[in-house]
Amino acid sequence: MSAVIAADGLGKRYRRQWALADCTLSVPAGNVVGLVGPNGAGKTTLLNLAVGLLAPDAGTIEVLGGTPAAGRAQLARVGFLAQDSPVYAGLSVADHLKLGAHLNTDWDAGLAHGRVERLDMDPGQKAGTLSGGQRAQLALTLAIAKRPELLILDEPVASLDPLARREFLQDLMEAAAEQELSVVLSSHLIADLERVCDYLVVLVGSRVRVAGPVDDLLATHHLLSGPRRDPAALPDGVEVISASHTDVQTTLLVRTSGPVLDPVWTVSQVGLEDLALAYMSQATVRRRRDNNHHLEVQK
Amino acid sequence: MIEFHLDARSGVAPYRQLIHQVRHALRLGLLNEGDQLPKVKDVVAGLAINPNTVLKAYRELEYEGLVAARPGIGTFVTGTLDGGSLAAHRPLRRELQRWLAKARLAGLDDESIEALFTSTFRSASEEDIA
Amino acid sequence: MIWLSWRQFRGQAFTAAAALAAFAILLAATGPHLASLYTTSKIIGCRGFACAPAANTFFSKLAGLDTVVYLLGIGLILVAPAIIGIFWGAPLIARELETRTFNLAWTQGVTRTQWLAVKLALTGLAAMGVTEALSLIYGWWASPISKAIGLGQGGPQLFSQGNFSSVIFASHGITPLGYAAFAFTLGTAAGVLTRRALPAMAITLAIFAAAQVAMPLAIRPHLVSPSHTTASIYAADEVYGSLTADVVPGKPDAWIISSQALNPAGQPVSAIPAGCASPPGATGEKGGTSALTPAQCMQKRGYREAISYVPTSRYWPLQWTETAIFLALALALAWFSFWRLGRRRT
Repeated sequence: MSAVIAADGLGKRYRRQWALADCTLSVPAGNVVGLVGPNGAGKTTLLNLAVGLLAPDAGTIEVLGGTPAAGRAQLARVGFLAQDSPVYAGLSVADHLKLGAHLNTDWDAGLAHGRVERLDMDPGQKAGTLSGGQRAQLALTLAIAKRPELLILDEPVASLDPLARREFLQDLMEAAAEQELSVVLSSHLIADLERVCDYLVVLVGSRVRVAGPVDDLLATHHLLSGPRRDPAALPDGVEVISASHTDVQTTLLVRTSGPVLDPVWTVSQVGLEDLALAYMSQATVRRRRDNNHHLEVQK
Repeated sequence: MIEFHLDARSGVAPYRQLIHQVRHALRLGLLNEGDQLPKVKDVVAGLAINPNTVLKAYRELEYEGLVAARPGIGTFVTGTLDGGSLAAHRPLRRELQRWLAKARLAGLDDESIEALFTSTFRSASEEDIA
Repeated sequence: MIWLSWRQFRGQAFTAAAALAAFAILLAATGPHLASLYTTSKIIGCRGFACAPAANTFFSKLAGLDTVVYLLGIGLILVAPAIIGIFWGAPLIARELETRTFNLAWTQGVTRTQWLAVKLALTGLAAMGVTEALSLIYGWWASPISKAIGLGQGGPQLFSQGNFSSVIFASHGITPLGYAAFAFTLGTAAGVLTRRALPAMAITLAIFAAAQVAMPLAIRPHLVSPSHTTASIYAADEVYGSLTADVVPGKPDAWIISSQALNPAGQPVSAIPAGCASPPGATGEKGGTSALTPAQCMQKRGYREAISYVPTSRYWPLQWTETAIFLALALALAWFSFWRLGRRRT
């Protein structure tokens, strides 16, 4: 299957800081992709690069085989929902649908109006007076009704209450099923992503830490617990992601393609949230270690 | 039309849960041959889960011969889970009940019984493969 | 995209239309009266020395309301480009960036370039159109006064402002169109730079005002090569201790760029020479020289006045040149907005 997003050494810099560095991804089509990471990790930067709101400072990115925002054709294939669902406060809901109709070539007016009706939204209401959940739903309507191949959403449910969040995800999944969309959504709440994503990308400290199908990740990551020992004693091919020790016990989260045969370890499954958290804390530990090293060198 | 539900905390993969629920419905007679399974988009709209999860479940059910997908129309039940087969294995069931009574008399608690059964079952399967 | 541009611009358009309509009604109410005053005055078909008094009579007959409307019109036309620049130009892009709606606008089906092009074109043309419409209807209303000003000399101060005076030049002809384009694109560019509407508005006002002061003072005089003439010293007037001409003989409408008194040897002088300085009116003493005004004295001694001026025939070339300059600036500012909005930024 072709890649919906193909990035090679992608980087973006703001003055001195690299908001995204050395990003190499090949995200397959037909998936719901979760992009997870702490705030400031570079999620918004990556998504903005994918829709052409930003241009790379290093490396390349191709979306659906084309350069982001290169022309009307490319723009038509990708739908975008920015953080906090910005809408025109002075325009009504119906105006927004007209906006969609005029600015898009392949606009499905029936779908758009049907959704507005089903969501019980007043077409004459000014978008500035809508609730957060309604704004998100309006923005989703605009993104879906242009019939894209790929839908990119930047933290779409971050500021929504649980009911609005659930309804939004329900509608998103329904549209993904019906239109055979590929979806990429970012969040710092992993619990939401666990239900809907079948491909995960973990972004921490401007870099991609792990990326792959959820099934593969869950199958290749294990939690090992056993008597206290040095993680370096593990055989090659077993990568330790995170480790914690008490005086008598060692718990490791490892990544390995084969089984762990050493009987001293009790092997158990890892949930997606724990997996992602392990990678995030690994990055933090590495950064702190690097910083300390710098300080020591300076002495 | 049956409706699915999901237990997010059960530790069982979502697609497995869907498969179990279809098989359960078949056993109980809620689903019969020729009935349509809920459309993928309706399942995901209700549960807010990934469409591929539902597709995977339906594919595995098709592989087991229980359903068949008709492109553009839906997925329909084609096979049955014969509830009667449970009755056919009544002798085995009675033997198992007797063995369980013996295990309790020997002083084994629930977890030990389960562990004994699981390890015996596994080693027996490995012998079969070998 | 045209629909969206219009929909966002709608409120501002209606405000402008309402203001224009209100002013037009005012002009329509007072215009016929003014026109009839003109036709019944003796200005039409006047010859030579009869024209100035006829013009002055006309001026004296003007009602107070006419004068108010005359000034109001000039004021509106001078201020309109600034208002357009601040309220139409500055928020055009800045608001979109400020409220983050660009995330919506630039990910539909139109590219950033198309988006900006349509917005600039639609609102820019509207800006120029409104200003020019204002200028035209006012020009029609004020034509009797304009014609009379051309003839009158030393009329009421208000009406001695000729076509080339800073205020009149900037509010008549086609210069308002250039100013409007410039102010609008200036606002847009400021908005792209500051990304906030309020600072953009302030910057636009500051720069536009500076340009409107700099142009008549420093630039306009150099836009057209002046004609030169040497006139009799009677054309000069002593103003703050130097001798400058206030009118070119025979060309009451001309614009004086500079003037300088010349002594008989042809050298420039700036003060009344010593021998001529004594004021007249000393009662003539028998046998002495008859009292001469300083001017007569200087004339007798052979002093002349050198004048650099722009004749009326150069009025329209000057209008076109100035308008072209502002239109060129507007195009440069528009190009800057396109360039700056390139994807590297945001």
